[in-house]
Amino acid sequence: MSLTTAPPGSTAPSPTAPAGSAAPASRRWIYVVLHTAGRRVLAEPGGLLVSLVFYGLVVAVLAGLWSAAAEANGGTVAGYTAIALTWYVAVSEAATVSLNIRMIDDIGRDIGGGAVAVELLRPASVLGVRMVSELGRALPRLAGCLAAGTLLATATAGGPPRPAALALTVPSLVLALMCNIAAQHAFAASAFWLRDAGTAWFLYQKLVFVLGGMLIPLEVLPGWLGRAAALLPFRAMAYAPARLASGHMEPVLLLEQLGWLAALVVGAGLVFRAGQRRLQVVGG
Amino acid sequence: MRHPGWMTAATAATAASRATAGAAIEVRGLTKAFAVGRRHARRRIEAVRAISFTIDSGERVAYIGPNGAGKSTSIKILTGILHPTGGEANVLGVVPWQDRRRLAARIGTLFGQRSLLWFELTPRQSYRMLAAIYGLDARQERTRVAELADLLEAGELFDVPVRNLSLGQRMRCELGAVMLHQPEVLFLDEPTIGLDLLAKQRFRELLVRLNGERGTTIFLTSHDVADIEHVAERAIVINHGSVIYDDAVATMRRRLMATKLVEVGLAEPSERVAMAGVAVLEHSPTRMKLVVDTATTPIRDVVDALLDDHDVADISVVDPPLEQVIAEIYGLPQR
Repeated sequence: MSLTTAPPGSTAPSPTAPAGSAAPASRRWIYVVLHTAGRRVLAEPGGLLVSLVFYGLVVAVLAGLWSAAAEANGGTVAGYTAIALTWYVAVSEAATVSLNIRMIDDIGRDIGGGAVAVELLRPASVLGVRMVSELGRALPRLAGCLAAGTLLATATAGGPPRPAALALTVPSLVLALMCNIAAQHAFAASAFWLRDAGTAWFLYQKLVFVLGGMLIPLEVLPGWLGRAAALLPFRAMAYAPARLASGHMEPVLLLEQLGWLAALVVGAGLVFRAGQRRLQVVGG
Repeated sequence: MRHPGWMTAATAATAASRATAGAAIEVRGLTKAFAVGRRHARRRIEAVRAISFTIDSGERVAYIGPNGAGKSTSIKILTGILHPTGGEANVLGVVPWQDRRRLAARIGTLFGQRSLLWFELTPRQSYRMLAAIYGLDARQERTRVAELADLLEAGELFDVPVRNLSLGQRMRCELGAVMLHQPEVLFLDEPTIGLDLLAKQRFRELLVRLNGERGTTIFLTSHDVADIEHVAERAIVINHGSVIYDDAVATMRRRLMATKLVEVGLAEPSERVAMAGVAVLEHSPTRMKLVVDTATTPIRDVVDALLDDHDVADISVVDPPLEQVIAEIYGLPQR
């Protein structure tokens, strides 16, 4: 067996490595991680219930505020009726409350504390396993929030403004979760350099709250801010499914989300790879 | 006789033969330097300095050294987590930092202070995730988990959430996680840290059994001398980033320590011993405890003199404890 000279930092495969026993090519892990992560949430119904109660409270308060604003403004705000606004906040909140609220902070702690080093010992993408696991945890919560939101919006404001548009909301919500998870991983990767992602977490939340349309439909934002929001990926994370749920039949929003998802996954992959490389060269 | 260098001629010959037959790990001149400090006061620290060794398939090797000696850094390089600054290494024919994921499918690594399991899940659920990540299908997963339940005698623990397991129970399940994909080499970084005596003993027995039954190569770091004595056949000692000793554990005491402990039971009170190279630790009318520097006076001469000059009821000559041997090795000059 001959030794291969190791140029520092090189990542090319070893020319002397024997054949066989390569890292697994099967994608079964995606299903298993998704499924196990989902079961993990369902195994703790208390946590799920707390999320749903929190979600219900936030939706009730925001729907009340927006309905009052619409009433005071002659029945609409930026073209949204009180019913549309109620459905809007029910879906925009579902898109964000379903996710681990401290995701960036948790990832940052794992990177800064060195737990990610253990994940590098597995024959799978660290980022891939983490993102699939987060999606698996979010999907049961999303189902719960959707059910609770539908009941709440129907009971307090009335049925969906446009049921056909509502049908597009479900796939749009799943895409919103995926975009959000990818973006949060990209932000959290700052911990590879800063050792902590607390600041990134604080900043990210505010960006999604406002520029993502979680609290406010983007049409309500002042001109320059609205134009900025239109150019940024955050609108794919709450605004897109909420806009559909509020009765706007705009399938292009799904295409836009797909585009952002591809860009965010590539972006997160590049940042994570650079971070991992730094960890491997500089140490953790 | 105090050993003058880091490797005996016999060990060097053994190492040379290993290099040609079934080497699992080969390391030549491996170096890792870190830059520390702020921009204007940046210093370069060599955590690992040009280390070289070869480990044969199926060997059980203890890789030991004081804190900060470079043990964990070496393991991180050999498992592909860290890139070296220089030198060469291959593990199972793979350069770890060039093909980390491919190597990961063939090795298992356990850091005593890091968990491979998900705390919210049961070990069985964690194994399911890991099995899928390691590319096992559902049937292979079931078979392996059943085998591990027998091997680890831990089947009843597999359905308890990890966060509810004691440390000893968790470490058994961690070993299951690291063995699930049947690795050819196990890297264990202080795996018994924090375990109670019984759990440590059980863990050591498991490692020896795994090695015996499956031929798994074991590369172990530990500060616990009992881990080294009970698990390892060979010890590589590293200090200040360099390998300072590499030999069989069984010969470690003999080759390195020039001292013997002699305990003498006396039938009648006698005078205090006065011989070159002999220090009296304890002297009472019925008992003597001596430390003999065999480089100055052979042990045989000391025993003969004791038997001639004293009414000896009982005598024993023992090697010093391994802790003392290792402390002595840490004090050896670097190569």
